[in-house]
Amino acid sequence: MPGVTSDSGEFNSLSIVPHSLETQTPRVYPLRTRRAAPPFGRVSISWARGNTLRVSLLQPEGADSDGEVVEVNLTNAEGGEIPEAQRRRIAYGSVTPFALLQSRKNPMDELQYDKTWWVHVMEYSNEIKSLLGASKSYITPTIEDPKALLKDVEEPTSLKAAWELMELFYADKQSQTWIPERLLDWLADFDCLLSATQPTFHARLVSFQKALVTIQEVENYPEYWEVMSSALAVGWLDIVVKMLRLHGSYQLDQLGTREIESGLVEAVALLISQMPRLRPHISDEKLGECYSTKPEFMKAWEKWRTQITKLDCHPYWLQCDHKQTRVGLKNMIQIMLGNANVLSNATYHWIELYISHLLYIRPFTVGLESMYTLAQKCMHLKPITNQHKLMGLLIGILEENTEVVLAECSRSFGPWMITHAVELLTAGSAQAEMLLHEEQSKIGGICIEELHRLIYAQILSSHALTWNIAPIYLTSCMKQGLGLLENLLYKQPVQHHQVLLKSIEICRLNGIDYVSRHMMKIAGVHYWKHGKKGSAVFWLQQAQDEVRLNRIAKHLFDFVGKSVSDESFKQWEGMIELLGTESKTAGGLEFLKRYRDFRRSLQQVQDGITTDDARKTSEALISLMKNPSTPQQFWLHLLYDSLRLLNWKDHPLLNVSQTNLLLNKLQELSLARLLPGYVDADLPPEAFKSVRRALATNLGRAILEE
Amino acid sequence: MEHNPPQVHKFPQDSYVDALRWLPQLSTFSRHVLLASYDSETSTPSLQTLTFSPSETAPSLTPQASAPAPSRITSLKISPSPLSPSRALIASATFSGSLLFLSADLINGSLDLEFSLPELGFHSGPVSAIDLNDSGSECVSVGEDGCVNLVSLSVSKGFRRVYDSKGLVSYSSVKWASPVEFVTGAFGFGLHWWDQRKPGGPVALFKDDWTKGSASGIVHSIDIHSSRKHTCVAGGSSGVVFAWDIRRPKQPVMLSGVGIGNAPAYSAVESDIWEVHYDNYTHSSKMSSSSSSTILPAMICSEDGILAVIEQGEEPTELLAEPCAINNFDIDRENPSDVICSLEWESLAILTRRRA
Repeated sequence: MPGVTSDSGEFNSLSIVPHSLETQTPRVYPLRTRRAAPPFGRVSISWARGNTLRVSLLQPEGADSDGEVVEVNLTNAEGGEIPEAQRRRIAYGSVTPFALLQSRKNPMDELQYDKTWWVHVMEYSNEIKSLLGASKSYITPTIEDPKALLKDVEEPTSLKAAWELMELFYADKQSQTWIPERLLDWLADFDCLLSATQPTFHARLVSFQKALVTIQEVENYPEYWEVMSSALAVGWLDIVVKMLRLHGSYQLDQLGTREIESGLVEAVALLISQMPRLRPHISDEKLGECYSTKPEFMKAWEKWRTQITKLDCHPYWLQCDHKQTRVGLKNMIQIMLGNANVLSNATYHWIELYISHLLYIRPFTVGLESMYTLAQKCMHLKPITNQHKLMGLLIGILEENTEVVLAECSRSFGPWMITHAVELLTAGSAQAEMLLHEEQSKIGGICIEELHRLIYAQILSSHALTWNIAPIYLTSCMKQGLGLLENLLYKQPVQHHQVLLKSIEICRLNGIDYVSRHMMKIAGVHYWKHGKKGSAVFWLQQAQDEVRLNRIAKHLFDFVGKSVSDESFKQWEGMIELLGTESKTAGGLEFLKRYRDFRRSLQQVQDGITTDDARKTSEALISLMKNPSTPQQFWLHLLYDSLRLLNWKDHPLLNVSQTNLLLNKLQELSLARLLPGYVDADLPPEAFKSVRRALATNLGRAILEE
Repeated sequence: MEHNPPQVHKFPQDSYVDALRWLPQLSTFSRHVLLASYDSETSTPSLQTLTFSPSETAPSLTPQASAPAPSRITSLKISPSPLSPSRALIASATFSGSLLFLSADLINGSLDLEFSLPELGFHSGPVSAIDLNDSGSECVSVGEDGCVNLVSLSVSKGFRRVYDSKGLVSYSSVKWASPVEFVTGAFGFGLHWWDQRKPGGPVALFKDDWTKGSASGIVHSIDIHSSRKHTCVAGGSSGVVFAWDIRRPKQPVMLSGVGIGNAPAYSAVESDIWEVHYDNYTHSSKMSSSSSSTILPAMICSEDGILAVIEQGEEPTELLAEPCAINNFDIDRENPSDVICSLEWESLAILTRRRA
């Protein structure tokens, strides 16, 4: 099974993502410090995000600085075929097409699914393809250099080559009838990738192109004829015709003397450009005549072959004096007639031989089975010691072995490829769909498709810039996705305000409010610990975490100035604003607001007000004292500050039961004072007494009044 | 209504863009942009100037000069020097709590550090926002630590603490209203109006009574129009954009927002609004119809990838809808039809608006 390690009792069997323990030569990573310098007192190393190590360097006492924390990236510096930034760009770009395709899966019914699904998949595939590199743009220069056989185009990547291979075999239903021709186009685009490690015709053509600039009378060079035969064999007809036109007999001064020769060259060129092709269309610069149905193509093919045979037996050959031309052209005719030996000599790589067989010997080949048999034969004829990764994938596809295709995809092209290419695979093969969607007990009941998505999401999560696209992939995983999404979100650094807000937004989009509440709690506690009390209260309030709000309220109250005359209370205004309206959870902090309001009205009492307002203030005092959330350490302050209310001269403001309530509170307080751990209020020593006296007087006056 | 879709050009970057600004314009053919970017591969933050050559078909953005930054940039502000237009004063606040002042020479292509305020004693923890005043002589900074500092750029370079909330309030944004007044934004959609002539604390507070107990939020960005110094427009969580007139402190005007109080019928976005600026371009196109009591049109960018212009009582005009967040944007002062914005997915977009 690809991507899954055997259950052999090693520690590897516990990990979802397999990794090899191959011994590698150790690498040295320099630490780039800004402040700290050796010697270090202590060094501690831990994992940071992804492939980064966090190294904490603590300096011994007396050093210039305390130390420093640096991060070391363990990623291979040399990188692969595609640079990291480009890789991230591909990852970003594939999010939208992937999400769109997933959203289209749900509402589709069975019948429609079979008919139109591949159209959606092709749309998706085209979007992805455009990310993997610009499609070859043929900008024809106004003055074309007749000797320029190859166009200067950007080097394609093997990732793109692999994607196109998957697309043409699985997703593109329109190409099913002309796969050999599609494969020919594919090789024309990507033969250069094979050149790096293996002999190919492309490499030969490149070297000939260089030599061509200096060559005069090209037809005298055997290389010219060889390259032309090879180009014909792999079906690059436009190059062949272009090269034929370089033949010396076309020169103006030679026209008269080399008429026969020129006629033969032209006849061959004409035949080549009229070659029947079993394909619906062909791009302008390519040659051949297209036939989309088989009977039509067969008829044209027979006719074309008859013409070649006729030319082959023509008496003009005897009159052709130029030996190289005669031999060369005859050789090309043999290629067109499908002479297996000549084809084998003209090609380098087995895939080139394969294409030539499909073109000239078995143009009617259909079905993967017969294509596979032919491929095996060609590989046998042109054996290669080290197989290119693209060829491994191609063979897997041809032998219809989904496991091999999956394994090659993931081994050679990485998690991005397999996660996204699975969509092509399932669209094209019922067998693959079953294999990918079947729940596997070996990997905890998830299916292979999900496994690969999870792996890819893990990789995205490990990078600071791609973590926030991982949720798109995780939410498409039915079984483990949500759990891993929670993990990912909880691990985000809350001290980065923006990251926290972005994480909360992800929760909102996915309807996982409980996760965002947890994150808000984590943030609240973090800010509290770092002395940012306002932010802490805000986040805990957003999380509706009454328990923690109550707990921090206790600590906060110790800092609140308790006397009305205390000016420092003003700085609490900002925090109180934060607590907002009544209905919002504020926990024990609710007291702060009532206390603020009470202080305000008390302030007015000091400034002298009417009895009515004083009564209102005393009502507020009672409700404050009644409220269980009013902390005990404020009681005496509240009462002492309200002495003027208790001693209101016109008539008592409090009735008997209210006065009794306050007396009870005072009693409770005097008992609490006896307990150990009671912190005495910073009030004058007679405060307690004067409050008691005032309350007693008030009680007497109230009884008389009633 | 603007019916012509803007011309959009995207420029992929190989690093995350933390902040960006247009630099003063030298000529119509070459424009300059300031970027604060973060290279994730080397973990290095930096500031750089780029030259933008506008063109219908193939505009280009090429790096000009760069300077290292000690930590990631949280806020960037520019002030053109009135004496030499080719030089611009740049203030940039960092995540580690320092403040850098640089000067960019656009002709010779250099970017030099003039002076900086070290982390110690200035702000503890990230500087949330800064603002340079019009003359470029003073810079106000606010932080998560609850400090409001005023940096003088005149002869004696140094800072003075205007206020220290001791962590009871964390500030998230700031904007000058006049040479002596500024507005700060905070958690709980709070706005504070400060007047340097009245020290000791904010002179006016605005609180979110209109949320009616539902979710509260944070003000991420504030803007004040030079022609209406008493009104500020603020944008923040849950797609909320509101205008607050200091003369009518109890009556905010809601411009956008979802499920909050007296929110208008149409809302451009539901997620965080990262930045808000008055849009002079839309304003000037309908100068005649606007009375002094209506709120001027403003542009916003959001976490859900929207760049839009919102106007009081009208449906928002979407300029850009991206699959990823738009974290910052800036409208060119001299050429308000041009907007630059940074996308979450390591890329920049430059928009050119055309009249219908």
